[in-house]
Amino acid sequence: MMTVADACIHPYPEGNSSLRRMAVEARELGFDTIVVPDAVTLTCPGVRIIPASIIRAESVRTVSGRLSRYNDGKSLVMVEAGENGFNRAVLNIRGVHVLRALHLARKQSFDHICARIAAERGIAVDIDISPLIHTSGPSRQRVLVRFAELIRLHDRYRFFLTVSSNARSVLHLRSANDIVLLCSLFGMEEDDVCEALSTVGNLIAPEGPVRVVS
Amino acid sequence: MKPLPPTLRTKKRYVLAAIEPVGAGADQKELYRAVSCALTSLFGDVRAAMISPAVIDSVPGHLIVRCNRGGEHDLRIALATVTVAGSEALVLRSKATSGTLHALRKRIQRVTHPLPGDPEEVSFGGKVYCARRYQGQKVDLMEKGIKSQELLFLTQDDLEE
Repeated sequence: MMTVADACIHPYPEGNSSLRRMAVEARELGFDTIVVPDAVTLTCPGVRIIPASIIRAESVRTVSGRLSRYNDGKSLVMVEAGENGFNRAVLNIRGVHVLRALHLARKQSFDHICARIAAERGIAVDIDISPLIHTSGPSRQRVLVRFAELIRLHDRYRFFLTVSSNARSVLHLRSANDIVLLCSLFGMEEDDVCEALSTVGNLIAPEGPVRVVS
Repeated sequence: MKPLPPTLRTKKRYVLAAIEPVGAGADQKELYRAVSCALTSLFGDVRAAMISPAVIDSVPGHLIVRCNRGGEHDLRIALATVTVAGSEALVLRSKATSGTLHALRKRIQRVTHPLPGDPEEVSFGGKVYCARRYQGQKVDLMEKGIKSQELLFLTQDDLEE
């Protein structure tokens, strides 16, 4: 089944909206899945909540260390991007699902080699739309350029993409249609956005041959 | 003065947007400034002039913005980047685009949001808030005080826990 997922939101106490309220609003905005860092188990009708673990680390060794703690098979493991060498190494670690916050990393930190590794290993790269909404001027221009470069690599290597709002309030959530419009600012086609919105479900349970378990 | 014949007039498009939270108290002028700033900041003065946005109607919970034909796509993107009008945090969610005002006004009548109930006092997390309940599950809380009032968006279940 095709999912429409917001790949990262931050409910109360990090933000000002409860997880239930965010789930209700997300459902009204056209999402059926939301990814929440360190989420508690909660059932919200019509919305699947996927817990996530965000790893912010300076070194690859630290990432590997934390990964063994977080990799329970149910959570989405997201690692914040860094220098080019760090990103290449992280993309080669088993258990990482998403490389995020690339717009905060330095220029050329995600190059064609990273793109090829991400495509081969089925690791997604996250597009965070919050700086497009909450910043302006040179900082927004920088983000647009970074995302445009990412889309150019994506068109060539076809690695997975995810789209997140990083909403800390229900007022920061954007509908699936608004996300399509915002992504058109850096040249992302509507089909690619729809594909990116449905990636999260496949990352947790990747499609593969049927396995007999008993 | 003789009016321009219809074939020479600039064609317009109208975009309907929902305002959230429904009780946001921004007036039409503040909403226009917010839309205009968002458009100029994103596309520059030249493109904003070509789009020439104008807020022509605002009812509680909804807003209709007029633009020149061909500018509706960029206008909808700009609406998605509006986060504040005046001093009020809000979000504008574009719902429909039409060539006539009549169609959008009919749509507003069809999907009118219920207005929040009367404010009441509740306590949450050791603080006292003014709560506004909406039809269904939603409850908006505003901290009681003079300045830097915290705003919380919860559901009825969150308050009962």
